[in-house]
Amino acid sequence: MRLKTLAASLVVITLATGSALCAAQAKTEITVARFFGACDADYGKAVDASKAHGECGIITTLINEFNATNKDGIVVKPQIAEWGPYYDQLSARIVAKDVPTITVMHESVLGDYVARKLVEPLDDGFKSVGISTDQFSEQAKKGTQIGGKTYALPFDTWSWLWHINGNLMKKAGLTNADGSVTLPQSPEELLAQARKFKAATGKAYLGWPAADTSANFRNLVTLVAQQNGSLFAANGKQIDMHSKPARNALELMNTLYAEGLIKPNMDYGAANQAFINGDVGVHIVGTWTIGDFVDASEKADSPLKGGYSVVPFAKIYAKKAAFADGHSWVMLKGGAKDDKTRQAALTFMKFLWDRDYEWARTGHLPANSTATARDDFKKLPFRSNILEISSIGVSVPSNVPRQRAVEAIVGEEMVNMLLTKKPIDAVQKSAEERVNKLLASVR
Amino acid sequence: MSNRMVKTGWGDRLILAAAIALACVWVAPLFWIFMLSFKPNAALMARTDVLFAPPFTLKNYADILGTSQVFRWLLNSAIVSLGQTFLTLVIASLAGYGFARTTFPGRRILFACVLAGLAVPEQAILVPLHRLFADLDMHNTYSALILPKLAAPFGVFLMAQYFRGIPVELEEAALLDNASRLKIFWRIILPLSVPAQATLGIFTFLNAWNDYLWPLVSASKSEMYTITLGLASSQSNFAQSEGIGYLMSQAVFAGLPLFILYLFFQKYIVTAVAGTASR
Repeated sequence: MRLKTLAASLVVITLATGSALCAAQAKTEITVARFFGACDADYGKAVDASKAHGECGIITTLINEFNATNKDGIVVKPQIAEWGPYYDQLSARIVAKDVPTITVMHESVLGDYVARKLVEPLDDGFKSVGISTDQFSEQAKKGTQIGGKTYALPFDTWSWLWHINGNLMKKAGLTNADGSVTLPQSPEELLAQARKFKAATGKAYLGWPAADTSANFRNLVTLVAQQNGSLFAANGKQIDMHSKPARNALELMNTLYAEGLIKPNMDYGAANQAFINGDVGVHIVGTWTIGDFVDASEKADSPLKGGYSVVPFAKIYAKKAAFADGHSWVMLKGGAKDDKTRQAALTFMKFLWDRDYEWARTGHLPANSTATARDDFKKLPFRSNILEISSIGVSVPSNVPRQRAVEAIVGEEMVNMLLTKKPIDAVQKSAEERVNKLLASVR
Repeated sequence: MSNRMVKTGWGDRLILAAAIALACVWVAPLFWIFMLSFKPNAALMARTDVLFAPPFTLKNYADILGTSQVFRWLLNSAIVSLGQTFLTLVIASLAGYGFARTTFPGRRILFACVLAGLAVPEQAILVPLHRLFADLDMHNTYSALILPKLAAPFGVFLMAQYFRGIPVELEEAALLDNASRLKIFWRIILPLSVPAQATLGIFTFLNAWNDYLWPLVSASKSEMYTITLGLASSQSNFAQSEGIGYLMSQAVFAGLPLFILYLFFQKYIVTAVAGTASR
């Protein structure tokens, strides 16, 4: 009797183990390398992305939701890295042949990886899962299509915006008859309005993080593009810091800073603080802060109460333009080991594409034009104000390699110009020499 | 005599006052970090100079403890730090003893080569080191996190110098009693070198615990992250503005094990460092 019981138990255990192993084998695991942080405590088990908030919350929940709902046995395993050294770690992983199946990548960086033949073209893959590149926004197309091929799934477009404290503007008499804020339309108007603002409020007009290299570079790209100029040669191998548009932009920034029209010595965090505390009229920063500033403006004692608004970078020169970039998802070569994994990755990408609206609640603009057309998107705060970014956005051309390093060099020289009063001539010379040396070293 | 005592007393007091002042300057940012770690992120986005007024929160710490792999990262850090410390002590002690007490052809040149290693920054060898471990398919292992740090020229130098200060007569007496080199090292030299071992051990452990660059490029799987790497990976992209409280709590949390270690071994650590410094 005992022997029979034992035999029966063994059969049950064997069957259970076998079926569990079969189930495990049927699963297809894909890895997704990303930044945006980790927020397990708040969203570790959340599966409804429509209820999540912030970049980390929404992407975490989207992945959880996909894992919980997909019928194909696909398991997405996030591999989260710190944002700052993300690309250094990614390069190290490629060298070590430890390539993630899917990787988040800035569109400004994509060209560099494509030039090094590290990224899979995805046109056929997208067709196989029903992602239509026709639905890409114009800015998203510019960011993800290189040489006629699509190398990434665009996820969003983010840009440089003017976040405005309407209460201070009103105090300075910089509002129109309809109550809207008067924005400058030329360098002369910008200087005049900024001086008027300072005289009326005793505060700096601009909250520009002058100690932040990225902010300086992006402002420079914007102001040069507004003059129909470009910092880079057509082949992407040289920078020209001595062009008339570049000189104009640098002189304008220098004047603003020297006259105290930009609140001095601020880094990124300090500039956000200055804006929230009502110390500046305009804060130039990205799309992602809209939610934080809306939250701040809803507090009863906030200097922004009833007065916060946001618009694209004001048209200071001849043409509307604002620096723009975007997050995208790519498949690096060697990441998908077989067709099944590749198909699983594409299926997950399709899921992300269909849920682009949820991601757009972070403040970024959707890359999927069907998300932009949704009524609920249009109802999100200030999104209608900034939709034109998709058409006026300007990025550093994709054939310019090492864009992060270029941004750091030019931004650093501009920090020197603003904070330590390095002469503009010297800034132009050293920025140009350093960047061109870097670009020349790229094989 | 009494005048001299009074003068000395005032001098001591001045030195003490200066030491207290310097200690306050040193502790102030740490205290600031500690206090900010109990403040909500949203409040810190507006102001970071209000330390004692509410609101306060424990959410930043709850968020750390709610990170699914945080204890795995702590364990990884402990394994890597202890492994590095133990192996460095073994290698540096043996090598140091060899250079200090034995003679062999090329000893001086070899010792100079070891010392030259002090001038080579970690970053200079990062790429070839990474490629080497990639070729050996060893990344994302404890071996990869521990082995590259075992080549410690400072440790060899420190131990060699310490061994040179131990009277050679002690060894000669043991040699007369027919003791082997290894026995002399194990029974006589090693016990006498505890202060130097402690100093080297402390520095090695601290460096290993705080290391970031090598784990960053070697450990890409989150289950192999050390605590520094893991906590950094959980920061949002704009932590310096929207996640300051969380950032500060991470700093406190990562430093806590070292702080506790210091509390337990405070007397020993101070004696060891002071003893080595005075030699």
